[in-house]
Amino acid sequence: MIGTKSFEAIVNGEQVKLNIPQNLRLIDVLRNYLGLTGTKEGCGEGECGACTVLVDGEPYNSCLLFALQVQNKNILTIEGLASYNNLHPLQESFLEHGAVQCGYCTPGMLLVAKALLDKNPNPTREEIKVAISGNLCRCTGYSKIVDAISAVAEKGVKR
Amino acid sequence: MKKRGIGIGCTFYGTGYGNGFPDISTAFVEIHDDGSVLILTGAVDCGQGSTTVLTQIAAEELGIPTDMVTITCADTGCTPDSGTTAATRQTYTTGNAIRLACQKAKKTLLEWAAKELGTNTIEGLVIAEGKIMVKGHPQKSITFKEACAKARFAGNRLIGEASFTTHATQVNMEDGQGAPYWPYAFGTQIAEVEVDTETGKVEVLRIVAAQDVGKAINPQSVEGQIEGGVAQGLGWSLLEEVKLSSGNITNPAFSSYLIPTVLDMPEIETYIIESHEPTGPYGAKGVGEPAMLSAAPAILNAIHDAIGVRINDLPATPEKILEALQEKK
Ligand code: FES
Ligand code: FES
Repeated sequence: MIGTKSFEAIVNGEQVKLNIPQNLRLIDVLRNYLGLTGTKEGCGEGECGACTVLVDGEPYNSCLLFALQVQNKNILTIEGLASYNNLHPLQESFLEHGAVQCGYCTPGMLLVAKALLDKNPNPTREEIKVAISGNLCRCTGYSKIVDAISAVAEKGVKR
Repeated sequence: MKKRGIGIGCTFYGTGYGNGFPDISTAFVEIHDDGSVLILTGAVDCGQGSTTVLTQIAAEELGIPTDMVTITCADTGCTPDSGTTAATRQTYTTGNAIRLACQKAKKTLLEWAAKELGTNTIEGLVIAEGKIMVKGHPQKSITFKEACAKARFAGNRLIGEASFTTHATQVNMEDGQGAPYWPYAFGTQIAEVEVDTETGKVEVLRIVAAQDVGKAINPQSVEGQIEGGVAQGLGWSLLEEVKLSSGNITNPAFSSYLIPTVLDMPEIETYIIESHEPTGPYGAKGVGEPAMLSAAPAILNAIHDAIGVRINDLPATPEKILEALQEKK
């Protein structure tokens, strides 16, 4: 029988303290314990990027992490991207460019894009493509996603 | 050696269930006292954008802004059946049902307004700019909202229900005659590829995709459908294959069943072709599936143009290309 352990982290700016089974994946804590179902599970084996969250600003597949590996870290999920009543510029841009179809890849795409722009506010189209290349999208053919991210980069909106 | 080639693929696709299978959509509409409109229909939006397009169709038919229209889709608790979201049929079939249902509700409203504004028939009226106006005498008008409230208060019910059946007949098995589908969507794509003759790898450098959609009710989502179709067509041509062994899928993962990533995709140039479809809502017909079809013939023809071999078995993997090059020698 797998024992429980105390798990502490900052999730979307809030301190979280839980007792969880030691073998629980980060995605399960987010979805099943914290109700943050914006993080999607596409494959559960690190191939699709749908489960991407930011850990201390870096994109990670939350299906490949044990929650206890991110003990005391700062985690951002899609629910934490917008501020109280304003969408994040990337979210606005995805809407404006029609970069969302079924939406399953969208949370991961947005968070990877945010991580990219935080580090490199003026990426080239090629750099944007490399950044999102670990995130599969079945619907859009990627064009409008790349357009949406470059539009934010060009505007140089404060993020 | 890397060799380049260009190929063209032209396809046509029969939308709807086809072959005489009942292909029916139903919609309910109610106009409320404040001029807002509720549409109920069974059409499922999987992300392709049918909810948006159907809202636009209702707003256009009623002459009101889209933000006055609320649509509830695919709730078995309250929506009438509109068939599956398949066969590229929702814009056309459900779009037509909504348009007809809106016409019925509108007729009741306009018949009341004709009396109020003193015209002989409803033909003399137009709904625009939030008002019902007498054609040619825009000063003779009543706001849409007021008209809805008063018409209802006078005992009218501003509701409409309609079903639309797509026309298709079963093919005669003896002579192959019949009209199995309606309407047909036409598309052409042109691909430029680079084939590495050492490794057999094909890189698609550019795709130009033109798709006939009758009328693009929402051009941005039509583009999205074409771009997504190209990506699926490219995957189908070069990467995707369900492998079976004794009935089991042996590659049930994204690591063994590959779909295109953004790095596999070329820039896509889209052209929307509008060839008014007289039976469609505002001339529209579907775009979903047809947009993916032309990529495969275009890419395979481009491979032939580049290295002179025909691949007749999808996907055109590096192994198959090398084998074909070997045979050619
Ligand atoms: S669900 Fe984590 S990468 Fe697919
Ligand atoms: S929008 Fe459907 S997977 Fe990207």
